[in-house]
Amino acid sequence: ISCNKTSVCPPRLVQLSHLHTSPNSQAPVPALPEKGGKTRHGIIPEELFQLLYPKTGVTGPYVLGAGLLTYILSKEIYIINHETFAAACMGTVIIYGVRKFGPDVAAFADKLNEEKVQKAQEVKDLAMTSLAQAIQDEKKEQWRAEGRQMLFDAKRNNVAMLLETNHRERVHMVTNEVKKRLDYQIALQTLHRRMEQEHMVNWVEKNVVTSITPQQEKASIAKCITDLKVLAKVQQAKTAK
Amino acid sequence: GIPLIALALTLPWILFPTPSTRWLNNRLITLQGWFINRFTQQLLLPLNLGGHKWAVLLTSLMLFLITLNMLGLLPYTFTPTTQLSLNMGLAVPLWLATVIIGMRNQPTAALGHLLPEGTPVPLIPVLIIIETISLFIRPLALGVRLTANLTAGHLLIQLIATAAFVLLPMMPTVAILTSIVLFLLTLLEIAVAMIQAYVFVLLLSLYL
Repeated sequence: ISCNKTSVCPPRLVQLSHLHTSPNSQAPVPALPEKGGKTRHGIIPEELFQLLYPKTGVTGPYVLGAGLLTYILSKEIYIINHETFAAACMGTVIIYGVRKFGPDVAAFADKLNEEKVQKAQEVKDLAMTSLAQAIQDEKKEQWRAEGRQMLFDAKRNNVAMLLETNHRERVHMVTNEVKKRLDYQIALQTLHRRMEQEHMVNWVEKNVVTSITPQQEKASIAKCITDLKVLAKVQQAKTAK
Repeated sequence: GIPLIALALTLPWILFPTPSTRWLNNRLITLQGWFINRFTQQLLLPLNLGGHKWAVLLTSLMLFLITLNMLGLLPYTFTPTTQLSLNMGLAVPLWLATVIIGMRNQPTAALGHLLPEGTPVPLIPVLIIIETISLFIRPLALGVRLTANLTAGHLLIQLIATAAFVLLPMMPTVAILTSIVLFLLTLLEIAVAMIQAYVFVLLLSLYL
C-alpha cells in the first residue's frame, strides 16, 4: 500500500506497511505518564516558572504577567467593555465548577479505567487459579495411578489365593473320596475274615462237642474230680502250715 | 483589539483528542469515550435495527451542537447556532429524510401516524388536517427553537453585562446585577440540555 501525494494515507496503514522493516518498534507501547503535567494555578505550566527562575527568581513570572496585563490595558490593546464583565462571571462559574467537581470527575474517570483493569485481572486470576487447580488434580491423578499398581498386585494376590484354596479343597475332596472307597474295601475284607473265623470256630466247636463221647465225658469228669481232690489236699496242707 | 479569531480557530482542537489505540487512556479520553457510549446507548434504546443506522449521525450532531454552544458562552466568541440559517439547514434535511424514509419503506404505517387511535368518526377529517400541519411544522419548530433559545441567552448575557458595566461607577446596583448575570450564566450552561432536546426531538420523529 503506497502513500502518494494525491491519495489520503491513513497513518495506521503506513505503520502497517513498515512492519519489521523500520527500526522503530510499535510494541510494547510506551507507557502513559501517571499524572498530567504539573501546573500552577491550574493553567500555567510549571515549566514557565522553572524557565524564568535562574534569571528572575520566584516572582519572575508573576511580574511578567502583571506587566503584560498592565501593558495591554494601558495601551488599550484590550479594551474593557461589557464582555469583560461577562467573561469575569463566566470565569467565576467555570472555576467554581472545576474546583467543586474536579476531583469527583477525575475519580470517576479513574474508576472507569480501574474497572476495565479489574475485569481483565479477574479473568487472569481465574485462569491462574483454575490452572493451579488443574496442576494439583493432575498430580493427584498421577499419585493415584501409582497406587493403582499396588491395587493390581493385591488383587492378583487375592485371585491367586482363591485359586489356591479352591485347588486345595478339591484335592481334599479327592483324597476323602478315595479314602472312603478304600475304607469300604477294607471293611468288606475284615467282615469276610471275621465271618470265616466265626464260621470256622463254630464248626470246630460243633465238631468238638459232637466228638465228645459219653465215655470221654465220664473219664474227664472223674479226672476233674481227682484233680480237685488233690488240689483240696494241697490247699489244706498249705493252710495248715 | 487582539485577533482572538486565531485563538478561536486553534484552541477548540485541543478539546477532543483523537481516541488513541491504547486500551487504558488518560482521563479526558476516558471521560469522552464514556459519555459518547452512554449517550448512544440511551439514544438507540427505543429504536429497532433500522434506526441504529442513524447512531453515528445523531451522536456526532449532538457533539457538534454541544461544542458549538458551550464555546459560544466564552466572551468574544460567535455562536453559529444563533443564526437561523444554520439551524434550519440542520433541521429541514434531517426531518425530510425521516419522513421520506418512512414513506418509502412503510407508506401505510407512516400515513397511519397522522391519525391517533380511537378518535370519534366525525372528527377524523379535522384531525388529519391538524396532524399534517403538525408534521410540517416540525422542522420549523426544531430550528427555531434552537435559534431562539441560544440567541435569547446570548442577548440577555450581553445586555445585563452592559448594564452592570455601565452602572459600575454607582456601586450597589452592580452587585445585584452581577449575581443575576452569574445565575443566568449557570442557566445558560444548560445549552447542553438544548442539544439534548434537539437531538431527542429528531429522534422522536424516527418512526422508522
